[in-house]
Amino acid sequence: MEQFLQQLLNGLAVGGIYALVALGYTMVYGVLKLINFAHGDLFTIGAYFGFTLLVSWNLSGLLPPVVAVLAVFIMVSLLVAIIGWVLERAAYRPLRNAGRLSAVVSALGASIFFENAIMLIYGARVYVYPDFLRPEFTISLWGMQVPAMRMLIIVASIALMLALWAFIQRTRMGAAIRAVAIDPGAAVLMGVNVDRVISIVFLIGPGLGGAAGLMVGIYYGQIDFLMGWTYGLKAFTAAILGGIGNIPGAMLGGFLLGVTEALAAGYIAMAWKDAVAFLVLILILIIRPTGILGERTADKL
Amino acid sequence: MFKFARVLAMAMFCVAVCGQAWAADIKIGLMCPLTGKWASEGLEMKNIVSLLVDETNARGGINGNKVQLVIEDDAGDPRTAALAAQKLASAGVVAAIGTYGSAVTEASQNIFDESEIVQIGTGSTSVRLTEKGMPLFFRTCPRDDAQGKSAANAIARGNFKKIALLHDNSSYAKGLADQTGQALEKAGIPVIFFDALTPGERDYTAILTKLKAADPDLVFYTGYYPETGMLLRQKKEMAWPVPMMGGDASNHQDLVKTAGKDAAAGYFFISPPLPQDLDSAEAAHFLESYKKAYSSTPVSIWGIMAGDAYKAIEAALAAGQTDSQKMGAWLKGMKDLPVLSGSLGFDAKGDRVGEFYRVYKVNKDGVFELQPAQVAQ
Amino acid sequence: MKRRPLYITLGICICILPFVANAYWIDVCVMIGLYALLSLSLNVMLGQAGIFNMGHAAFFAVGAYVTAILNTMYKWPVFWTMLPAGAIAALFAFMVALPIIHLRGDYLLIVTIGIVEIVRIALINDVFGLTGGSNGIFGISRPYFFGFKIVKGIQFYYLVWGMVAISMLLFYGLWKSRFGRALNCIKEDDIAAEGCGINVTGCKIMAFTLGAFWAGMAGTVYAAKMVTIAPESFNFMASVILFAVVILSGGSQVGVLVSVFLFIGLPEALREFSESRMMIFGLAMMLMMIWRPQGLLPCLPRQYPQARKDEG
Repeated sequence: MEQFLQQLLNGLAVGGIYALVALGYTMVYGVLKLINFAHGDLFTIGAYFGFTLLVSWNLSGLLPPVVAVLAVFIMVSLLVAIIGWVLERAAYRPLRNAGRLSAVVSALGASIFFENAIMLIYGARVYVYPDFLRPEFTISLWGMQVPAMRMLIIVASIALMLALWAFIQRTRMGAAIRAVAIDPGAAVLMGVNVDRVISIVFLIGPGLGGAAGLMVGIYYGQIDFLMGWTYGLKAFTAAILGGIGNIPGAMLGGFLLGVTEALAAGYIAMAWKDAVAFLVLILILIIRPTGILGERTADKL
Repeated sequence: MFKFARVLAMAMFCVAVCGQAWAADIKIGLMCPLTGKWASEGLEMKNIVSLLVDETNARGGINGNKVQLVIEDDAGDPRTAALAAQKLASAGVVAAIGTYGSAVTEASQNIFDESEIVQIGTGSTSVRLTEKGMPLFFRTCPRDDAQGKSAANAIARGNFKKIALLHDNSSYAKGLADQTGQALEKAGIPVIFFDALTPGERDYTAILTKLKAADPDLVFYTGYYPETGMLLRQKKEMAWPVPMMGGDASNHQDLVKTAGKDAAAGYFFISPPLPQDLDSAEAAHFLESYKKAYSSTPVSIWGIMAGDAYKAIEAALAAGQTDSQKMGAWLKGMKDLPVLSGSLGFDAKGDRVGEFYRVYKVNKDGVFELQPAQVAQ
Repeated sequence: MKRRPLYITLGICICILPFVANAYWIDVCVMIGLYALLSLSLNVMLGQAGIFNMGHAAFFAVGAYVTAILNTMYKWPVFWTMLPAGAIAALFAFMVALPIIHLRGDYLLIVTIGIVEIVRIALINDVFGLTGGSNGIFGISRPYFFGFKIVKGIQFYYLVWGMVAISMLLFYGLWKSRFGRALNCIKEDDIAAEGCGINVTGCKIMAFTLGAFWAGMAGTVYAAKMVTIAPESFNFMASVILFAVVILSGGSQVGVLVSVFLFIGLPEALREFSESRMMIFGLAMMLMMIWRPQGLLPCLPRQYPQARKDEG
């Protein structure tokens, strides 16, 4: 039983990160209906920028760690958001009226480009964040020792999800985003500046992705130029699992995927963990073709 | 629409022009992963071999002929590797060094064999590569079964009773885990856990939780240093003090960085020694020039293995063996060539002769300490 | 737009290429031909019927492994294994397609990604003790073509491109047929297709199975050429490349050929740039897509004899 709880918690912590990355995916998808395969690499860029700022520029030495980490979080989010914005301008906007899959191929190209650009700039070796950035203390929970950082990741992903959800549901900009998501053509007629909305979405999504990258860097310590591919694929799976385009769905999907993986690793076989996770995904989609929280849109009249 | 035809015609023209081989220089091929997952290893191989080639040329080449190094990227992928090998063969190299990864090397083996080019594998430890009876294939890295035996010896000497074997499903790590398992079985030490993790992830707590429940005396992870570092780090976070050991793929300084000094202390692994731990003149000289060129010390063993392969080819060429069949025969008779990682010789199958595994242990300060030689024998 | 000159130039180039190229480029072109076979088969589902399949390498893998297993364990000649390879790949595709084919767009995309990953993991884990784990299977023998042993690159070149030519003719016939029209109709609007009396699910499954059959046969040729196969050759990235080839092509068969030359040939042509070649490749991928958003050579509109008479 204790082992089960422990695995559950392991899964939730991993799932929290999947959820964080999936939020950016689902945001962009909801508005553009575009699977942004470069999202995982924006996440990697966030991790590398964070490393440059904290270690190479020695912000972590100049400022108290907590202040440094917070400042770097903001700077990384902004920088990655700008890259995301440029990416949308350069690689996706010209393809907005072409077939949906054309933009997907462009996104795949962008992903290959970013991955190799990082490798050329930083080199192929792994980088390691300094240890002292992580809070060391552990919390005792039902007899388990839980590192505080794990709880922090779970809480942060829930908080970010709620903030994003409130932004979409409660603000004027959020209403515009929803309008564009439902029908861009009609949104233009209602006086919504669609280009601006899409630009804003491409600031928020990649910004979140960059922050997630930094968080992974600080918590797990080790970053490499291919990490975005793995996390990107997992996050995409999570977003689909929860119903893509749906913000609470992305989070639910992330946690579910993380827990499924942990339990599969713990009780079936570690080597088959990813296969089991995909099998669960397929089964869920067979039962619910648009994901767990996905809307059941009637196809057409 | 004619654009495509034009582009195609131009491409074909380029092919025809590039296809002409240049004369005079001796060409030696190096095939390594410059992009993809193992790019860091490939870049190190490239650095080391280019350094050695420059040295040769600065000395005036081999018997008066300059050496030209032809480097091709195999991306750590069998399909690309087959093409890279074909490209080297077409470029007219007399011998090829490489590559990293057994499956990748295997994809290139036939091409070099059919083109009659001597190939010296560097990071290709799978047993079967030299069991096929290919006369021109050699390797400077030891085989999985040799390492498996050394690993089992080290485990037996440490008095560990219940062993957990963990690999990452790469052909190298799986091979080493299998061979170690067999050697342990012979020695009567039970393996109570055998499974694989997925490399490239960050979070291995689920696996560690499962391992902990199996309660082994020792965890032997046969895979590569990035995962080893994460395992050590997360093991410490779980406050689980079980000792861990590794194979030669963990012989990389970044391991301590990832794990942190505290978590890495006490970790041990078996590996061929790095030049900085050898007192031979060859190693000292190499280390000095490496430091001068790249202002660091070599971090990984596989680049050294590529350097050894180059040394072997250079020696063969210096002995006047430019024909590949003769070079192959000469290499099989070669003994005790001083190279970067000690002395090198090949047996009739093309495998490296001699037991040269040593045990390294990470000390409190995160430094890899070479243990006295008799421990490994 | 007249395309005939392009077809003829392309055809002639492909025929005479081995006489001007060296062994390396012939091998590159064998790979290109192999990917052309795979892309043509994916084109039936993705380009013609609009089934989002990003896991085509799964069927390719099944075909290659069937050949490898039958050849190394049961000593079947390589060419005899081609039909079973195709058939087993098709059967596998049929079984996975049944429950999932009704999924829409991106949901189908992730499921096919899931399938290719499951297949790869199963191969790595040595499923049923047949696949040899991550080492794969080695020692596949060279094929005999009517008593003529195929070993050299140039022989494989003509074998592969001969198969490409036959496939193109067959798929052209398919495109002209009632079934081909039905697939195009489904791609444009599957509700309307249903309304026209087309059995949408049936047609999609047919297209899926047919594409997988071809991919399985391509797997046989791949196994024969490489002599040794390993799971890493059939990863998600291979599927992504095939997917991108078909999308960039625009859906026509000649488009597929041009686009496959770009996708497989370009990374090889960029070898001069060593480490940075993949970065340039990624950039080129984006630029090509932006340059021709509808694909390089979209299908020409169908012409029917009836319609032409009306115009005149």
